Amino acid sequence: MQLTDFAKKAGEWLSGTGPESDLVISSRIRLARNLAEQPFLSRAGAQKLTAISEEARLAIQEGLRDQKLTYFNLKSLNNIDRCVMYERHLISRDHAFAKGDRGVAFNVAEDIAIMVNEEDHLRLQVLRSGLQLRETWGVMDKLDAKLEEKLQYAFDEKYGFLTVCPTNVGTGLRASVMLHLPALVMTRQIEKVFQAVAKINLAVRGLYGEGTQALGDFYQISNQTTLGRSEQETIDNISAVIPQIIDYERTVREKLLETKREVLEDKIWRAFGVLRTARIISSKETMEALSLVRMGINLGIIGQVTIKMVNELFVLSQPGHLQKMESVELEPVERDIARARFIRSFLQHIA
Amino acid sequence: MICEVCREALATVHLTEIVNNSKKEIHLCESCAQQKGVAIHAQVKNLSIPEFFGHLVETRSPETAGGKEPQCPECGMTYRQFRSGGKLGCPHDYTIFRQELEQLLEKIHGSTQHKGKVPKRMGNLLGRDQEIADARAALQAAVKNEEYEKAAALRDRIYELERKE
Repeated sequence: MQLTDFAKKAGEWLSGTGPESDLVISSRIRLARNLAEQPFLSRAGAQKLTAISEEARLAIQEGLRDQKLTYFNLKSLNNIDRCVMYERHLISRDHAFAKGDRGVAFNVAEDIAIMVNEEDHLRLQVLRSGLQLRETWGVMDKLDAKLEEKLQYAFDEKYGFLTVCPTNVGTGLRASVMLHLPALVMTRQIEKVFQAVAKINLAVRGLYGEGTQALGDFYQISNQTTLGRSEQETIDNISAVIPQIIDYERTVREKLLETKREVLEDKIWRAFGVLRTARIISSKETMEALSLVRMGINLGIIGQVTIKMVNELFVLSQPGHLQKMESVELEPVERDIARARFIRSFLQHIA
Repeated sequence: MICEVCREALATVHLTEIVNNSKKEIHLCESCAQQKGVAIHAQVKNLSIPEFFGHLVETRSPETAGGKEPQCPECGMTYRQFRSGGKLGCPHDYTIFRQELEQLLEKIHGSTQHKGKVPKRMGNLLGRDQEIADARAALQAAVKNEEYEKAAALRDRIYELERKE
């Protein structure tokens, strides 16, 4: 696998093809697993870190041979490549910049990624485009079973899969659905969603998970608890609530079109104009404009661009990707110029 | 309440100043407060997750219990260290600190019993126990709903599972 391809295209889960993909960007399942015979990373020195990562790497390469995953030791990657992997949701921010032997294995489609020595020894991730949590779990369940043939997981009859942080113990599962909810944000209805979701023990997070901002009106809905509920029950619980949120967003959009069509169209076209003409543009402004354009496509207001293109722009216009394209580290001001140039060229063939 | 400076936006920052024993209250909107250099967020310390958990369970601390603090012989972690850092040191900690963790897990998850996947290595017996427990629950529900055919099938399944050693 060539990391240079990173600058040209985004992962397959951004293709905008799955069910409900106008509003649901992706479905994601993550499992936390640890080795039974090794200390957790909070108590592992450099040598242990190396031993654990070697054991995990071998198990991944042998057990998951048919998945064609490529393993990268993060120590061997420069800052730009680490940043790019983070922006593509292949690794977490902490994992990108932590020290010691740690790695990530993923496939060309980027819908399977396994972090080694992140918070837990292993963090398995499966991503799918659109709303398909159950299918995503199906893939994950098989991966986990294959890996388990090669590794002895830390498991307790009462507490389930043992994890570094007690918040993940049990199934070790985090299921999340990433939604695009611009109309609910615009009309300040999103708070109601937060409140409703919190009542049934689900969490709302930003674009890059825990502790990140909801850039571009993207929100991740995920389970908060991992003990006392099976994987299937956890997934069913989230799956049950998503259609309601989707309906809510759709209803508000229709209402907006009915009552404030011109205002909405104006906002959307202006955002499109900014993206096509700006000479300097920040990441935040880009996200905001892309969010409006994305909604504009869904509502049939803008026809020249596809959801896939917009999804890709969300990732490709981020700092790590811009620096990857330019092959140099850029100051923030230089990045804003490079970003505007990149977006203009990305959209130049559009009528 | 309206901001005292711009007289437009809603005042969300309320300052109480005490100068020479006289109390003075100022009400500002967020942007005026920022312009005036009132560090509104500085007062709210960002609570980290470990700290949060540290304060969640204050019971049975070794200091008050008077006993020796339990320590994991494998990784050397003490419960107090876990409480301040929020991370456990090795899989054995779940056994060593079982008593302390029970309460914490109940608070976080509302449960202290794993339900779900079991590694194949753990043997099929564990899986069998789970299946029996599930079937028992389903049997109860079936009886309650007067679905007797379903209940009979479940009863047979439980017998069958229990015979399997």
